[in-house]
Amino acid sequence: MGDAGRVPRDPRRAVAGSLYTLLRTVDVAVEAQGLEREFKGAIKAVAGIDLAVDAGEVYGFLGPNGAGKTTTVRMLVTLLRPTGGRARVAGFDVARQPAQVRRRIGVALQEAALDLLMTGRELIELQATLHGIPKRAVRERGAELIERVGLSDAQDRRVGTYSGGMRRRLDLAMALIHEPAVLFLDEPTTGLDPASRLTLWEEVRRLKHEGTTVFLTTQYLEEADQLADRVGIIDSGKLVVEGTPSALKAQVGSPHLDVTLTSSDGAAAARQALGAFGQLRPPDAGCHVSVAVREGSSAIAPVVRALDEAGLEIASLELIEPTLDDVFLAKTGHHLEGEDAAEQGERDPYGEEAPLVQASADGHAPR
Amino acid sequence: MSENVRIVIALVRRALNEIARVPGAAIPGVLAPTIFMIGLSAVFGRAAHLSFYHATSFRTFIVPVGFLQGASFTGAATGVNLARDIEQGWFDRLLLSPTPRITLLAGLVASAAVRALMPASFLLAVAVLWGVHWPGLLALLLAAVLVMGLAAVMAFWGVTVALRARTQQAAPLMQIAGFIAVLFTTAYAPRQGLTGWLSTVSRINPVTHVLEGVRQGFTETLSWGQTWPALVSLAGLLVLFGALAVRSMLRTGVSA
Repeated sequence: MGDAGRVPRDPRRAVAGSLYTLLRTVDVAVEAQGLEREFKGAIKAVAGIDLAVDAGEVYGFLGPNGAGKTTTVRMLVTLLRPTGGRARVAGFDVARQPAQVRRRIGVALQEAALDLLMTGRELIELQATLHGIPKRAVRERGAELIERVGLSDAQDRRVGTYSGGMRRRLDLAMALIHEPAVLFLDEPTTGLDPASRLTLWEEVRRLKHEGTTVFLTTQYLEEADQLADRVGIIDSGKLVVEGTPSALKAQVGSPHLDVTLTSSDGAAAARQALGAFGQLRPPDAGCHVSVAVREGSSAIAPVVRALDEAGLEIASLELIEPTLDDVFLAKTGHHLEGEDAAEQGERDPYGEEAPLVQASADGHAPR
Repeated sequence: MSENVRIVIALVRRALNEIARVPGAAIPGVLAPTIFMIGLSAVFGRAAHLSFYHATSFRTFIVPVGFLQGASFTGAATGVNLARDIEQGWFDRLLLSPTPRITLLAGLVASAAVRALMPASFLLAVAVLWGVHWPGLLALLLAAVLVMGLAAVMAFWGVTVALRARTQQAAPLMQIAGFIAVLFTTAYAPRQGLTGWLSTVSRINPVTHVLEGVRQGFTETLSWGQTWPALVSLAGLLVLFGALAVRSMLRTGVSA
């Protein structure tokens, strides 16, 4: 076949295109295009996900149990081969360059996978060895990380004696041993007490400040809201919506003030006074009046003043802002929280075959 | 020291650490071959008077069987431990490191080979104290090589099954292979004493050569004629089961 129909390529455009691709590769830490994973029995746990996470960003991957979060993460971290689409992490293809991907990622999976018979220090040092950190640097780097996660006093104790929060922190330290460019945290605070949860959140913020890209899967709305620069919401294996938490919430409505008066006699006057601040909303019966306030909390003082000037007595006043659950409800027709389906990917963690027999509840092997 | 060798040593150290910290869990595997030797010697002790037993005593004849049983149990335990690590998520941690899959496999199998020396050493100590013929250092060295090699073969099998089943409930499948392989040899009687299908099976069973390679130092003197079939059989088993285990490892997760 000749070149008759081919348009000669401008070399300057070709160079510009290559540069763009290179810069794009550097800027985008995690990228998926049409990513799919189908398990035996035609179960599609992930049904074509497109996403891009910029370098240095905290990306919240939010969805109920069974939505496909863990399966997606397992594909992105090279534990599971995609059955469709493609994904690049830290500039490398997860299916074709898994070793390069592994060198650049840190992973803390859903259950802190730790050898309970080893001490914290031994585990950190083993992890450092697995990542090829030179012998002389292993102790130094290990000690630094153990101190960072506040486990210095417990480092020579067996991990079996650690609390859940301590195990999570050790798991995080192990994920950071090789200073990864991209950190995957799969439901890192599930099952943790509030104090441990806050400690972990602080660490995620610190990592972001240091420039680490964090891919955080969670089923907790507050966690995504607090930590994520952008949120992707997944349901039934599909990404249903993506954006900054504030932009997503703005899509489903503005904040509103719910005012309860001490008496229903003043309801009409209250509606008149509040009408100046924004659109009145239901409920508008009895002693309750509700008004949309685009300004959020800064509208509270003027509203109180206006009601006071109208001679109305307020029993309670509540600012209600849309939540990510409202976003989820608007996009999927059901609530995010309270779902309890089994994660499909967990049935077959390596995705090749179904287990021959069911997993044992006993954690110890016969020898 | 190369990075991969450091990783193999670290994985072996982890496996030995388990024994050091939970010694009770290792006791059955260490004691079983010795108990077999004592029990079988008591039951079949007088069989050694039969003409085709060229051993000074039945217990001398049976000690090498205990060595191979210990190797077989230890190898299978490596598979069971891997299944436990898969269930508990630890294996994911290994897979998430940039360590080549082959190095991870080498670490698992090397740990089995090293651990197999524990039941063998205990058995040897008890056997020698009980009057079993001292085979000499060279024969013991050969026995150690064959025992470690068979443990590696069984570890390859255990790893293959563990990666397929991903549950400790597959333990019997890991253990039965070694049990059968050692049972259908000249374990309890010399080839001249076997008849029918067992004679045929023992003749084609490569583990028979491995067993006789270990046994020669106990019942007679070392000879190249007995040594090379043992080494070749072991090498064949290592290649066959090693290939199965490598294939399973490379099919786990995403491999380059």
